[in-house]
Amino acid sequence: MVAVNLSHRRTHNLLLISKLLSLRDTTSPLTLLVDSLEQPATPLIQEYIRRANLSKVHVTLVAFETLKCPEGCDAFISTRRKSPADIVKEASRAYQPASTGPPKRRLILIDAINPLLTSRRVDSSFSLPAFFGALSTPSTSAKLETSLVVAYHHDVPGSAPSNLYAPSQFSMLTYLATTMITLHSFSHILAQKAARDRSLAAPVFGLEEEQEGVLLGRLDKLSGTGAAEGIVLELEHRRRSGRGVLEWYLLPPASRYSARQVKEVVTLLDDNVLYNPPVEADDADEEPTSTFDLGLTERQRRDREGVVLPYFDAQNGDGPGEGGRILYDMGEEDDFDEEEDEI
Amino acid sequence: MPSQPPLPPLLTPYLSSHPDSSLTLVTSILGATSNWLILRFLHSSLASLWAPNPSFGLDESNNGTKKKVVLISFLRGWHFWRTEAKRLGLDLARLADKKQFAFIDGLSDLFNTAQGSRSPANPTPARPGIPQRTTLPVRGPPGAVPARGPPTAQIPSAGAPEGTTDKGVAQTLSFSGRGVAALDALENEILAVIAQLKISAEDGEEILLVIDQPDFLLAATGPSMDIGATEMAEWITGLQQNVHATVITLAADSPLIHNASTSGIQGSTPIEGEHAAFAIGLAHRARSVMQLRTLETGAATDVSGVLRISRGGGWSSGPEDNLDEKELLYYIQRDGGVRVFGRGES
Repeated sequence: MVAVNLSHRRTHNLLLISKLLSLRDTTSPLTLLVDSLEQPATPLIQEYIRRANLSKVHVTLVAFETLKCPEGCDAFISTRRKSPADIVKEASRAYQPASTGPPKRRLILIDAINPLLTSRRVDSSFSLPAFFGALSTPSTSAKLETSLVVAYHHDVPGSAPSNLYAPSQFSMLTYLATTMITLHSFSHILAQKAARDRSLAAPVFGLEEEQEGVLLGRLDKLSGTGAAEGIVLELEHRRRSGRGVLEWYLLPPASRYSARQVKEVVTLLDDNVLYNPPVEADDADEEPTSTFDLGLTERQRRDREGVVLPYFDAQNGDGPGEGGRILYDMGEEDDFDEEEDEI
Repeated sequence: MPSQPPLPPLLTPYLSSHPDSSLTLVTSILGATSNWLILRFLHSSLASLWAPNPSFGLDESNNGTKKKVVLISFLRGWHFWRTEAKRLGLDLARLADKKQFAFIDGLSDLFNTAQGSRSPANPTPARPGIPQRTTLPVRGPPGAVPARGPPTAQIPSAGAPEGTTDKGVAQTLSFSGRGVAALDALENEILAVIAQLKISAEDGEEILLVIDQPDFLLAATGPSMDIGATEMAEWITGLQQNVHATVITLAADSPLIHNASTSGIQGSTPIEGEHAAFAIGLAHRARSVMQLRTLETGAATDVSGVLRISRGGGWSSGPEDNLDEKELLYYIQRDGGVRVFGRGES
């Protein structure tokens, strides 16, 4: 049952992540990357850019944190001192596809949405859904399929909502997103799993340690985990039908594959050897060795099940002294002993 | 104890290599301050220029690139930095004369509105009564205060900022107004100093910007003056765009970080929330984060604290950027020398 389930997941969910990361068929118009200091989203963003370049998708980076245009980006929009409306205008100006021809695809990356959410220059009329909507709808008549990938730093405290009854900005983002990818460090996941397997409390890292002076806990060589490199992606994809898909993946570090590799590099976390060590070959049949045969043959087992235990007989209520007899059908190998077996 | 080389060998790779437009964040707590580390950043960038034949084996660490340094300090005055650098064998005043180094004083007159009122960008008139309350105590040796004199007495109200207060101080920052406009004014003053250094820069000379505790500016202004973590971070972005690399020190004491980051913004005061957002946000942008803290097991006679070097959110995993993560112990000797060693070593 488990094996069938895993192979089913392997086929379907690997196809899904491949579609999502390669932006095929606009599976997800708005992807939210939830990262923290323990596992920043930078490597995943680079992976998005790499795949977009392979499939000739136009990449725009709306930079709230990045200073320099990274390699592979087609357009770079600095947001310093700009209002959301200006950002939208500049983003739509950055790519003007020909209005004829096959539909073009476009990727807009936002490296961190937090500054926009807490900025004081953004007035109260600013609405996140409208901002995302304006970014992803093309201004021209050209056929354009836009995918938005937005990174959000989960550990940066946001500002309190002006309206106490309004949801927090992070909740808003999770409602809007069609796909949410939460990033974890693989070595931390391994350490937590090791603790869980021993029924210990899972360790916490970095800010959650609440140790004075510690912002980051991520050290490459975590004791007992070996050199576990890679990023664990916790995916939550909302299908158009409303059904959700939850899956955990592992993205290996970029140095493990070439930049031009087309074959899928992401694997299921459950398929990883470090996370799910292979069970040793089934020698579980071994039994204590002795001169007796402690096992039962099939027939012995059937006979044993056929025995009606005395208390069943006692429930028949045949009167006092009547119930509780031992009922036994003689087998052919039994030999009858008059003196002992007298009832 | 034997005297230590000015640059601990274990730290040299971290102090001297700054990729283009990288940010290095140094966090400190009350019991483990970052001054000594900043001085070593200055030394690794400036020493080879100052001493033509360094005897400490610095030649390989500088990789032939010369650097100029702009130091903006919000918590410590010029006197402090000059004295401490001298103990390392670095004459900051002479370097300032040679335009290799510029010190920007963000402490003495930051909230001295008598000087601030000269700024044309000031939207609100100077309020009387404010200077007396907000003049900050000058940190440093007790001798520093009388030597500097009260700032209002020394600085003419017409205010020629350049070099009037102290020889070697390129600029004295003063904060006036509120919100982004006030930060812009500060930025322009700093950029003017950077531009001056750039004029005299030779080919291949890079400018390293060191900002000492800008979180003080955030704490002193805060949401009531329309300055939050985002505005401060944008201000830093503006400065970063004009220099080669940036080093920033911040306080990371537990109340300033953990109250807001764990209990959420509702359960914390504005300063806790803004500081946490500022510090964590910068750590997301930093290439490397150097965290100073005290020993968890209490004070020791031969260890001053722990230095953890981690990759920040801005570290790119490319092959050209190999930054090893490390945790080291350090000990500051009485003569100011610093010994850095691994756990279990001596």
